[in-house]
Amino acid sequence: MSDVSLRTRFRLGGARARHLVLAVRIVAGSAIALFALSTPGFTSPLSINALLNAISFIGCVAVGMTFITLTGNIMSLCLGATVSASALIFLASLSFGILPAFLIAILFGVVITAAQGLLVGFFRANPILVSIAGLSLLIGGAALATGGQRVYPGGEGLQVFKGRVAGIPVEALYFFATVVIGQFILSWTRIGRVMVMVGSNPRAAYAAGVGPAMAVTVAYVIAGACSAVSGVLLAARYGSGDMELGTGYDYTAIAAVLVGGTAIQGGSGSVVRTLIGVTVIAIIEVVLLLRGFSQQLQYLITGVIVLAVIMLHTIGERR
Amino acid sequence: MKRAAIFLLAPTVRPFTIMAGAILVLALMDRGTGYFFSLGTIFSVMQLFATIGLVALGLGLSILVREFDLSVAGIVGLAGCIAVMTGVSNPWLGVLLGVCAGVVSGLLQGLIMTRLNLSSVGVTLGGLLTLQGITYVLTENKTIGYPNMAVALGLNEPIANLLSVRSAAALAVFVLAALVMTYTHIGPDVIATGSDRRASRIAGLNTERVIIGVFAASGASAALAGVLLSYSLGAASPIALADMLAPAAAAAIVGGVSVVGGRGSPMGIAAGVLTLCILRSGLSAIGVEPHVHDLVTGGILAVIAILDAPDLARRVTAWRLDRAERQEQALARKSP
Repeated sequence: MSDVSLRTRFRLGGARARHLVLAVRIVAGSAIALFALSTPGFTSPLSINALLNAISFIGCVAVGMTFITLTGNIMSLCLGATVSASALIFLASLSFGILPAFLIAILFGVVITAAQGLLVGFFRANPILVSIAGLSLLIGGAALATGGQRVYPGGEGLQVFKGRVAGIPVEALYFFATVVIGQFILSWTRIGRVMVMVGSNPRAAYAAGVGPAMAVTVAYVIAGACSAVSGVLLAARYGSGDMELGTGYDYTAIAAVLVGGTAIQGGSGSVVRTLIGVTVIAIIEVVLLLRGFSQQLQYLITGVIVLAVIMLHTIGERR
Repeated sequence: MKRAAIFLLAPTVRPFTIMAGAILVLALMDRGTGYFFSLGTIFSVMQLFATIGLVALGLGLSILVREFDLSVAGIVGLAGCIAVMTGVSNPWLGVLLGVCAGVVSGLLQGLIMTRLNLSSVGVTLGGLLTLQGITYVLTENKTIGYPNMAVALGLNEPIANLLSVRSAAALAVFVLAALVMTYTHIGPDVIATGSDRRASRIAGLNTERVIIGVFAASGASAALAGVLLSYSLGAASPIALADMLAPAAAAAIVGGVSVVGGRGSPMGIAAGVLTLCILRSGLSAIGVEPHVHDLVTGGILAVIAILDAPDLARRVTAWRLDRAERQEQALARKSP
């Protein structure tokens, strides 16, 4: 019964398990860093740019997903579709000018997720179920609105969201701004603290007189805004869009959140952790690419590493 | 009247009520043109049923024990590729290996979850990515053709104009699952584990074994769906089958599987899948624009989500009391 003793040790020796996890984290982190730095060409501007681009699009969604996971609502299957739909809205409304189009896209993303957040927050509806409903409605609505056609920009000014400033891709700047704002909300605003509290123990939060409903709704609103930012960046990057643009972003985003170490049951985690998670996944992908692994092996290795990291993080934490 | 409504909306009956409602609405929209009520529609409904039904069954079983098996989408793709690559001369070998892959992946994930006390979303998300990776490696990122066209045609051969071999197989698995859940102790064990895991464990039930078993069954069911689909399409590719999770989850939920665990049945899931398939085939049969069914499905899911929300009654009561109080105050102010 070696497995039983293993489990009891993990369960009872919380501190010991935590030390073990911390040690493995440090070892794994240094291994990845060493592996990356010893890879020829990793530090070249080209590969750093590829890295920054890779983390920017998915990173914005992952920051948004962090808030949903933190408040105890596991994940949303609808964020990928929100990315695509807000990209379409952005492109279609470019005729009003670049800033109004940006604001309209963000507003759209916010409305989409706020509706879901209200249901989850005020009625405690099941978050995964609500997100699937949102996904179906978005896909159906978008197909009706566009007739399944690609959407092309209705105006000029896309350069604001691409190119470089001081050698850094603009997309990365927008992403880092999202991270900073996200972490600020989480650490230095009242609603941010309430979100963490609600995620770690909703009953205690309720008993303490802070209603979980508003915190959950705001978490969804932030998730929608972040997804819309990603949608705008993607739309600017590709110059046109369809509903395939953000497909699969939900899964990659939740993978980044979990790899970063935000707990799947909520109540523990941060935006900075998600930044680390996104970066780790992107570094692994870039290194595998530079070392000449085939595309398919890259998928497999990334999958195995994500599985391993998720297992590592959740060991020692009670479900 | 009220009693009838309560009966029709009871958790075990609701899936069938929704299905009947969908058929009724489509029949009214059809207005006697007969496009909806044709053997062709029934056949295409059943073909769709064969595609997402078994995935929904696997996912639904995992929701029954209060877990969520995200990896079913990965298993569908992997099993399909394995079957297409190994089953050229002997299709049964492909079926066997494909389903074995599903069982093994389910067992492994179940073991990881129960032994290390991890949540299913995290583990099966990693499982999904890993399974997709294995599929990419096996197929070398290409679409693999299945040269044995006799099998492909045979699987889609109509039986009595209603079913194909493929949809009959899917139905048979549903009947088997329903029999097992009703007439063996596995059914009550699964329901107990989903309702209250701690109480079940204290009562002496080996809940870990139940969970591992459920994930193995979920893997097998999804794998069979993948094998049948790839055989009948005559091809398998790593990307084509990835988008199966949302419809499968929707079908399971419409089929009365409760997201808080412990409530649901294979026959309910079958009704849920049929409802979605009827909507999709039926709407296109009567000439409604494609993708309207997405809106309808989303609407139904949203309504179910709201109706099943645990705080709905409390909120509504609170609002009512609030309003009554305000009216009273207003009245008191008017007539001092």
